[in-house]
Amino acid sequence: MSFPTDEMDDIINDFIAESTEALDSLDQKFIELEKRPDDTTLLNDIFRSVHTVKGAAGFLGFQQMVEVTHVTEDVLNKLRKGEMKVNPVIMDAILQSIDLIKVLLRNIKDKSGKQEDIEPTKNLLKSILDGHAVPETKTILSGEQPSKKAPSRSAEILPAASQSVTQACAAGAKPSTAEPEAAKTQTKTDEAAHAKDQSIRVDIERLDSVMNLAGELVLSRNRLMRLGSRLSESDSNSELASQMNEAIAQLDLVTTDVQLAVMKMRMQPIAKVFNKFPRMVRDLARQNDKEIELKISGEETELDKTVIEEIGDPLVHLIRNAVDHGMETTEERVATGKPKCGTVSLSAYQEGRNIIVSVTDDGKGIDPVVIKRSAVEKGLLSQDEADRLSKKDVLALIFIPGFSTAKVVSNISGRGVGMDVVKTNISKINGAISIESEVGKGTSIIFRLPLTLAIIQALTVEANGEVYGIPLSTVIENIRVMAEDIKTVEGREVIHIRDRVFPVVRLGSLVSGDFSMRASDWKYIVIIGIGDRKFGLLVDRLHGQEEIVMKSMGEYLKGTEGIAGACITGDGNVILILDVAGLIETSKKLYAH
Amino acid sequence: MLDQNMKILVVDDFSTMRRIIKNILREIGYNNVDEADDGSTALEKLRGGNFDFVVTDWNMPNMPGIDLLKAIRHDDKLKHTPVLMVTAEAAKENVVTAVQAGVNNYIVKPFTATALKERIDLILEKINVQS
Repeated sequence: MSFPTDEMDDIINDFIAESTEALDSLDQKFIELEKRPDDTTLLNDIFRSVHTVKGAAGFLGFQQMVEVTHVTEDVLNKLRKGEMKVNPVIMDAILQSIDLIKVLLRNIKDKSGKQEDIEPTKNLLKSILDGHAVPETKTILSGEQPSKKAPSRSAEILPAASQSVTQACAAGAKPSTAEPEAAKTQTKTDEAAHAKDQSIRVDIERLDSVMNLAGELVLSRNRLMRLGSRLSESDSNSELASQMNEAIAQLDLVTTDVQLAVMKMRMQPIAKVFNKFPRMVRDLARQNDKEIELKISGEETELDKTVIEEIGDPLVHLIRNAVDHGMETTEERVATGKPKCGTVSLSAYQEGRNIIVSVTDDGKGIDPVVIKRSAVEKGLLSQDEADRLSKKDVLALIFIPGFSTAKVVSNISGRGVGMDVVKTNISKINGAISIESEVGKGTSIIFRLPLTLAIIQALTVEANGEVYGIPLSTVIENIRVMAEDIKTVEGREVIHIRDRVFPVVRLGSLVSGDFSMRASDWKYIVIIGIGDRKFGLLVDRLHGQEEIVMKSMGEYLKGTEGIAGACITGDGNVILILDVAGLIETSKKLYAH
Repeated sequence: MLDQNMKILVVDDFSTMRRIIKNILREIGYNNVDEADDGSTALEKLRGGNFDFVVTDWNMPNMPGIDLLKAIRHDDKLKHTPVLMVTAEAAKENVVTAVQAGVNNYIVKPFTATALKERIDLILEKINVQS
């Protein structure tokens, strides 16, 4: 085509965005299809998505994409016309091709010009089209004997087998839930189609700049409110002052609304993350020879875009853990009288200013005894210490780096990235993580996440006459101490608090290199925890708690160690916000000298 | 009636496709183009504005192109509007259905600007001969 280059680039970007959207929604539909293999509407829907992508790819000259979508479309066409029946083998092949299409899309996006080897996938689909040479495959879903690997599958398409798939899983789970849910999804898609007309795509940078301006507005309002109250203090009878305060009160209301409205613009439904899991659980379950149903609830819950982006990886890890380690094998489940089909539930809901996200499985649960033994063996704590821990504290041990109880490293999880990384990632977005588990009943991991990252609660402290803010989510407790409470062990300052030893970092010496302390002075230790690391920050005074809008330090001061940003407080002062993770690094360097 | 100001409605559920077709139309000199994302919105637009020509995709949710075509032909005000159907395959049964439903012509994706111009010219010529 001979469009202007700009226009062409734009079109290609559109194509990538739109196709990605279409393909992402497909994963969910395929899982539904496995439950209801005869649903023609669903099949038509899937067919149309692939068909549409093919059409546009043809115009844009993405030949590989056209070839793959073309043969996929042919298979889907036969399925929707009822000439073939959905079975796990066909499903795997289609899913493989969808994955390949996604890879091709990514290559287009990266402008890498990379070519993929599309022949294996194409041949696989073609062999299915020909109705013979269905490749040998393990079919855990083939009915009565899940443990016995069926030898090679014959050519015929397997309506009976696919029938039993649905029944096998439905027997364990309540079949009644499937239908209304499906209906719900349908209405949702309809609504979404309608809503499409009502929305526009906006560059995230533009939203951020509106967010910033709203932040400025909040600060000006705070300043005005203080001035207003000072004005009425100095002259309580002034007509002008009371009118002024009225106006400020109005401004206060509007500002709060503006802030909320802008925050909402950045919110996205958590479904964006949740949607990829049904497919993942399906694949993992097949690899593991397990039968697992994923139940999702609260996918409409909205979270800040940044938070959404950050929780994807931790959730992937948790779900893999649940399927790989948490869930028993089918035989074990049957032997213990549990339903054959295991359940992993993923849920999200709002609780006050937090969003709670949880991953729950009905698997074997975590045995505190095993955890204790493993922790002691690894030298993470002594037998004595271990014995004194409560059950909750024992379970929390799994968040310590280097802790993994998995006996066998499978290709799914247990590759060295453990729960500690999950915890650190969640801490990074000011979230908290907790765990509940019952042996034989299952495990639940719960995230408590902030609604937004733009506004944070901060503890304001003073050191060397300067005020600093510490994100409240990292603060564990504050303790008043005297100089002699701080001991020196091997050249490092530490403090004993209730039988635990914490390294001490003097905020004053970190920021100005000078921090003298007279023996009789009362000071404060702020115990800060990030991930599993805890330390005490020594400060002169505690000021209070404040809701702040954090600003970046700008180009010039960007990357200053230990400083996350700055904010303007209600009284108009600029204070620095400490970057707690950075402070730990800085203090390590300090002590290294 | 070979009028470059002819008002054209492009119907496709995939916005990239609408954009591509609009660009091709612009390339061959048609700038007065509006779009709709499925059959039912298209029908609303057609009833509301004076469109001279419709280019519609076949495979769309809610109301596919073939239903849109039938609805146009059954609407007294719209029934003479020329309709060009865009399909991915020239499957025979599809073409027959479309012709029976009164399509003016069809074009297979992907097409070039020249091919689209040819089809549009052909349709317009036929209409001129008839009138």
